[in-house]
Amino acid sequence: MEDSNLGFLFAGFAVVWVGLFAYIIYVSRREQALRREVADLRQELAEREERGGR
Amino acid sequence: MATVAGRHQQGLVARGRRVLGNAQRAKYIFLLLLAAMFVANLYLMLIWAPTERVMGDVQRIFYIHVPPLWVSFIAFFLTFGSSIAYLRTRDRSWDNRAFAAAEVGLAFMTVGIIAGAIWGKPVWGTWWTWDAKLTTTFVLWVTYVGYMMVRAYAPVRAQGARWSAVIGIIGFINVPIVYMAAVWWRGLHPDQVTGAFASGGGLEPDMRTAFYFSVLTFVLLFAYLLYHRIGVRRTEDEIGSLHYALHEGRS
Repeated sequence: MEDSNLGFLFAGFAVVWVGLFAYIIYVSRREQALRREVADLRQELAEREERGGR
Repeated sequence: MATVAGRHQQGLVARGRRVLGNAQRAKYIFLLLLAAMFVANLYLMLIWAPTERVMGDVQRIFYIHVPPLWVSFIAFFLTFGSSIAYLRTRDRSWDNRAFAAAEVGLAFMTVGIIAGAIWGKPVWGTWWTWDAKLTTTFVLWVTYVGYMMVRAYAPVRAQGARWSAVIGIIGFINVPIVYMAAVWWRGLHPDQVTGAFASGGGLEPDMRTAFYFSVLTFVLLFAYLLYHRIGVRRTEDEIGSLHYALHEGRS
């Protein structure tokens, strides 16, 4: 096998694993951000309900 | 009486925490298993599997080119089934499953296609050719990109869900065509080397082991990502409901 083809082998593996890893990072970051947003909104709603109840 | 109710509530909270703790533990065990399989997969693909005589080591791209594409077919099948269920029931949870499977499937398909192009350059002398297999694969990829765009640009969520469900059902028709394209229309892309429609001698036993192990690793990775993507989608829905509740409170 030509040495230059090892570069293609490396590139093929890198594209697949780096691509999927980047997608995993994207999904987990989005998950964290959304959880924070849900917590903030729940707190805001609870505070509003508390104010309304008084 | 109040004490009994209080104790009951505390018991429920404790049980909820235990369930969540178990779920978290199961998640970590699954991730550890996945990491171990990833390392074993690299060993099987790069060291254990024998070198192909004609193409040499670059043929090893096969082990990461075909499995993600097979996984994308599974994903699009899930989108197809969930889209039918959504159109019949109008239950949002089916729409969430359809969308999550389409997005994760598209991610796997994209990396699989790029890996194939990288393999094609040293073997065929070109990154891409409009061979029947590659053309039908490209049409399938564009179909699911369209699916995502319809979701993103639809004026109302329910409308986007309906339109994309139709795309998810019609688009799936192309999956068996892509699978059989190299058998039906002879081109540059080789025939299947494994499965019911394999031609010639098929894969050498050690290559077959490495290949199916790689398929299993990608399937488990897909399952993990799908589970999380559905969770994200559910949280997005919850945020929508909370915003609605806050807005209602203001008016």
